[in-house]
Amino acid sequence: MKKNRNITYKGLVLILSVFVLTISCEKWNDSDINIDPDKPADVSMSLILPGVQQSMGFNLVGNNTVRTNNIWMQIFEGVDRQSYTEGRYQITAADTGNSFEPMYTEMMMNLGIIIDKANDEGVESPHFEGVAEVLMATTLGIGTDLFGDMPYTEAFKGGELIFSPAYDTQESLYGTINTLLDQAVSNLNSATNVIDVEGDVIYDGDIDLWKKAAYSIKARHAIQLSAKNGNAAYTAALAAVSNGFTSNDDDMLVPWEAANGNPIYQFMEERTDIRMGAYLIDLLLATDDPRLPFYAEEDGDGNYSGSALRGQDANASYPGPNIAAIDASTKLMTYSELKFIEAEARLVLGQAGAQEAYEAAVAASVLRVTGDANTAWLDANINGDPVTMEKLMTQKYIDGAATNQPYADYRRTGFPNLTLASDAVISEIPVRFPYPQSELDYNTQNVPSVTLLTKLWWDQ
Amino acid sequence: MKTNLSGILTLLLAFVVHISFAQEKTISGMVSDQSGLPLPGVNIVVVGTTNGTQTDFDGNYTIKASEGQTLLFTYIGQKEMRKKVGAGNSINVQMEDDAQALDEVVVTAVGITRSEKGLGYNVQTVEAEAISVKPNADLVNSLSGATSGVQIVSASGEAGASTFITIRGSSSITGNNQPLFIVNGQPIDTGGGDSGTGGVNTSNRTIDINPDDIASLSVLKGGAATALYGVRAANGAIIITTKSGKNLTERRIEFHTSIGVDVVSHLPARQKKYAQGSNGNWIGGSAASWGPEISSLEYDGDTSYKWDPYGQLVPKGTGNGTPAQYYDPYDFFQNGYQLNNRFSISNGTEQGDYYFSMSNLEQTGIIPNNTYGRTTIRLNGSTKISDKITFGANMAYTNSRAVQIQKGSNVSGIMLGLLRTATTFDNSAGYEFADGTQRNYRNGGGYDNPYWTANNIAYEEDVNRFTGNINLNVQFTDELSLVYNTGIDWYNTKYTDQFKIGSRGNPSGYLGEYMNFNSVFNSDLLLTYRKDISDKFNMSATIGNNFFSDYSKYLFGDATGLEIPDFYQLNNSSSNTTSTATSNYRTSAVFADLQFSYDDMIFLGFTGRNDWATTMPQQNKSAFYPSASLGFVFSEIGDLKSDFFSFGKLRASAARTANIAPAYSTSNYYEAADGGDGWTGDDAGISYRFPYQGQTAFFVDDDLGNADLKHETQDTWEVGADLRFFKSRLGIDFTYFNNTNTDLLMAVPIAATSGFNSVFLNAASMESKGVEISVNATPIRTENFTWDFVVNYTQFKNPVTALADGVDNIFLGGFTTPQVRAVVGEEYRSIFGEDWYRDANGNVLINDDPTDSYRDGYPMTNTAQGLVPIGNFNPDWTANMTNTITYKNLSLSFLIDVKKGGVMYNGTAFAMNYFGVSERTVNREVYYNTDGSINFDTTPAENLVVMDGVYGHIDANGEVVSSGVSNVTPVVQDQAWFEGQGSNFGGGPSSAAMEPADWVRLRDLTFAYNLPEIGDVIKGGQIYFSGRNLWIDTPYSGIDPETNLGGATNAQGMDYFNSPGTRSYTLGLKLTF
Repeated sequence: MKKNRNITYKGLVLILSVFVLTISCEKWNDSDINIDPDKPADVSMSLILPGVQQSMGFNLVGNNTVRTNNIWMQIFEGVDRQSYTEGRYQITAADTGNSFEPMYTEMMMNLGIIIDKANDEGVESPHFEGVAEVLMATTLGIGTDLFGDMPYTEAFKGGELIFSPAYDTQESLYGTINTLLDQAVSNLNSATNVIDVEGDVIYDGDIDLWKKAAYSIKARHAIQLSAKNGNAAYTAALAAVSNGFTSNDDDMLVPWEAANGNPIYQFMEERTDIRMGAYLIDLLLATDDPRLPFYAEEDGDGNYSGSALRGQDANASYPGPNIAAIDASTKLMTYSELKFIEAEARLVLGQAGAQEAYEAAVAASVLRVTGDANTAWLDANINGDPVTMEKLMTQKYIDGAATNQPYADYRRTGFPNLTLASDAVISEIPVRFPYPQSELDYNTQNVPSVTLLTKLWWDQ
Repeated sequence: MKTNLSGILTLLLAFVVHISFAQEKTISGMVSDQSGLPLPGVNIVVVGTTNGTQTDFDGNYTIKASEGQTLLFTYIGQKEMRKKVGAGNSINVQMEDDAQALDEVVVTAVGITRSEKGLGYNVQTVEAEAISVKPNADLVNSLSGATSGVQIVSASGEAGASTFITIRGSSSITGNNQPLFIVNGQPIDTGGGDSGTGGVNTSNRTIDINPDDIASLSVLKGGAATALYGVRAANGAIIITTKSGKNLTERRIEFHTSIGVDVVSHLPARQKKYAQGSNGNWIGGSAASWGPEISSLEYDGDTSYKWDPYGQLVPKGTGNGTPAQYYDPYDFFQNGYQLNNRFSISNGTEQGDYYFSMSNLEQTGIIPNNTYGRTTIRLNGSTKISDKITFGANMAYTNSRAVQIQKGSNVSGIMLGLLRTATTFDNSAGYEFADGTQRNYRNGGGYDNPYWTANNIAYEEDVNRFTGNINLNVQFTDELSLVYNTGIDWYNTKYTDQFKIGSRGNPSGYLGEYMNFNSVFNSDLLLTYRKDISDKFNMSATIGNNFFSDYSKYLFGDATGLEIPDFYQLNNSSSNTTSTATSNYRTSAVFADLQFSYDDMIFLGFTGRNDWATTMPQQNKSAFYPSASLGFVFSEIGDLKSDFFSFGKLRASAARTANIAPAYSTSNYYEAADGGDGWTGDDAGISYRFPYQGQTAFFVDDDLGNADLKHETQDTWEVGADLRFFKSRLGIDFTYFNNTNTDLLMAVPIAATSGFNSVFLNAASMESKGVEISVNATPIRTENFTWDFVVNYTQFKNPVTALADGVDNIFLGGFTTPQVRAVVGEEYRSIFGEDWYRDANGNVLINDDPTDSYRDGYPMTNTAQGLVPIGNFNPDWTANMTNTITYKNLSLSFLIDVKKGGVMYNGTAFAMNYFGVSERTVNREVYYNTDGSINFDTTPAENLVVMDGVYGHIDANGEVVSSGVSNVTPVVQDQAWFEGQGSNFGGGPSSAAMEPADWVRLRDLTFAYNLPEIGDVIKGGQIYFSGRNLWIDTPYSGIDPETNLGGATNAQGMDYFNSPGTRSYTLGLKLTF
């Protein structure tokens, strides 16, 4: 019996030691356990910047923006599934989340953080701030030209518990774009700067190029107000052009690579639902444009052809290497676009140099797309042929394939003169993108009520 | 230690000496029941020895015993009898029905055992034997229809597919809604199986349990039953106790083998009349089957056309005379087989007991190369080191291995490529050309040939798992005892995900390598004091504490763009990504349990538990959870009990339980920058990522943390009655339950314009109210024939009652349309999608405006109003009935399962319409007059349909204009219709694809022959046949409607090219040595 009692005592000691554990409950429940070891609490600006730039290249000028409005612009033609129905202008709030939301959560939110960090005491880095401001203005500009009014003043303030930000009018957003770009230039001109711009996949930290980009974006949005501001818009555009890009080398491009393929490339790999549109391909075929084999693949018959409007011609040409190669850069802003802006402004204002700017724009475009000057073709088709608004806008349209600018220009100028799809579900080509379901659901009180035919402010 | 050993040896020696001096003789006799009928299978042991036997089928027994020893007779439902061995050699015994016949001991929360009689809440037990003969790898499937209040949906019939189980509805909006699983007191991880809309169906980790190891399983449904689990109690609990050698008197060896066949059950019907192509023309490589009639075509024999061995199709008379034919793509499916072997050895003595088992399951699926395998080893043992102290340990090792095949909304999905395959294309005529490129019906584009998917894409998962616990039981006095139980559940999951170069989803090849480690630690210490205060008044009190931790970490690497074909190694690519993630949290708790009973009539219980959790902010770490329950056995009053009325109890209970936030939701972080556009990308939809251009990058986490979170709360109450009649041969159990869940923790979606996509908040409330009714009866019981049945009925409503301010709905899963949502005022997991334009009375509008863009005589999709509720998968009620009929050694048991109400999105059929392959597209032939109207003379009459609705149109302002007049315009559902609003791709509303998912099914059937004792070696056994889903009656036109695209996830009710369900036939043999 004694032995048993011994064991009982041992048991009791064990029990006591377990109870002791209870006392160290605070240690067991240490709050540090609730710190995620796999996510940093803070990162440097150079580790934020490339993520923003990559997202801009993929989303602002990628599938959910460019593919859709280039189908409407008949640069592409949707031959199957959703791309086919988008071709009859069927697009709803459920379709635009992927184009709208990353502007806020991936691009502008993180740009705002860079701007804040660049102002941190002791490490003031106006160059970094300037770069972030140019990118902010670029994003906001492309965004508002698609969606019109958008939150900005109250936006990106979830951390301050503002979950339903008010919408700024497009008019005030245009003011914001200009202010951001002015601040950017001033910041980029700053003589003092602590942290150099690093992680920059667009200009590799070249501050001069960022300044040119700031002016070029400014020119784009100045001329976008031509219907609203008349000559003042052209004058403002010209003023900006003079400080903008000076060659194709200055282009604001987002690169792609094997591990991160061009968005249209990825779409064609996985979905294959678009072909080149007959309208664009016929334009190129008409002059045997050297850009044709770069814009289009050979079709099933070894020729170049676009799918006729609503033709569902799966045999037509796939988008070519300039648009859809795995490593084809996406274009946030180009020298050629700037020269077209200059040509248009000079043409409308009656200033000298319109013809030269026009010829330079097309030459730049052909060189960028083909890699060759193609002087003979330029001499035969462009050079010396007196520029008109229609010719200019048609060439700008060709130049702008796989960007949002043909759609912005179409609404502004009515060029090119496109035919409505035969099975259109609305009476005109849409003049805007609808707001996404997430805004209708979670920002109900602020999101404007619009249809696909509700014109943007600069279009009114 | 040495002293102890010698002490035990001395004891043993004394024992042996004692036995050898006793005068042993053979006792025989007959055991009968109360009515005098022989009772087979009565256990008889000589008390204090290992000597035991059972009565045979005539109630007879023989046993060796000595004069003065006592024989103990035990049988379920009968009072135990003790007979002292006297001078005689014959002892006949008449057993008495136990007045509290169903007074089973059930295991309740934290391992406290209670008599079911005294419970103030509903607990149902599931017979372990029934689980063991069902042909389900995952024991959760075998619980289907076994109890009330439990809803189980298996993802598909694939080997190793997941199952989703909820008890009394859902209590969390976006969090876990599946019950806590406790095995031998140890909480185990049962996660996994949530597969999204594409990818593969993975297992959830309940599959790691060998069903044959289960000795008992109880289902704790309500808050009062689970309140002692505190922060883990909100979803109910499944309490499993594994087998032991306790109560055995001699070594027992069991061998159980079974072989089964699975066949595909329901498949969508396809049209067999029209060939591949469009607008009546054959087009090779066309996505659709809108071509000419197959009977009008023949092959041209062109061998240069590589896509078909017979060449291209041309009109009859212009080719080589080989007629075109319909190819049945369903030939792709094969029989699945399963071979399952289980072995166990166990024994028990006064000093201790052991149970050792091994099992091996090998299963092949109905989809080629889909396999699942499981090997388990278990050792349970306990030893009594003194009268008062018992030590025990339970250990189990499991290896689970699966090869899963791509499914769902995924260009490599088996059913997607299979069901869309054009009618005249033979997938089986080769899936790969000599140069390694793919042969499919889209001439290399589109979707993977299903044979390509099955042979060239593989997801191989391997799980190694160790679960073990040790326990110490000290009986200080008759009144005071202590239990300490601590253990771990460790497992490692690794998978490789391989796509051969040329796969449509990963054209340049892909490899994913994943490894994770999961660890659960649990420790429970209970000190219990029981006191019989008087003859009638008893009490027991338990205090205890609990420590719990849950840790997991994974490492994932992938490679896109493989350089060397068929070589799956991360280095074989210049494009790699890696990621890791961790989840770690701990809780601690103190708890108390107080039970009073008076005169076996009134049972009153209280529990309380205080939890501290690391996932909660410092100021809100702690929370307290009480419960109270009352059981009133009113049949004890006076002379209420009679031959008619055997037992009556009323129950009532109330409790508060909870849930805590996931780890790391109290603060904000940065995360690796990546994203997707919803069209492209890898399995996770990631289209762009880092490293990129030699850089790395981070975004601020778009899920905003919150340092003010508090525990979520579930308040529940239930009342019930347990009534038994005719000497307990008829029992009726009724429960009403009412769960209110408030302050539900969730990542609330917010406008992206705030810079974030979600914020973690105590945001929502929901409730679940309903009834559970169980009836069990033994209508016939004679000497040779018994008929038992159990009916369970469940009905409840589970609406969402509040969401965060400004949030109307929460996305739970699915597509842009339709999607499964939580919406205030709607049943949880309502399906939302677009609908037709309707008039104010809800009639579908049939277009009557010849000038607009819609076709006249057809309905129109209302895209303007966005997504509206279009149905819910939750049933109105479910019921099931298990009948067990026994005749001598034969028994037949079958379970009929009924689900009434609930709809499912048949996106499969909707998409098949677009491609012209669904059977309903066959009536497509239409002829027009020159003015564009249908020519009724030449258009086959059977092709004319009048769409249901009233005439109307949409005016220039987008307003509905209804005539109110019923539509009578005949139209044809032709290619234009199905490529338009008659399918999802053409812009048809999801509401048009909702189908009732009711069913009546013969879920399980087991026919068994119980073997008698054969010679000295075989002590008994069973030969059985078991079938699953042998018969299903359902209005659902697709596959077996017990399916879910996303697997074990809150978003239920989605079918989009889901892999089909199966019917199983199993033959088994059990032998006891």
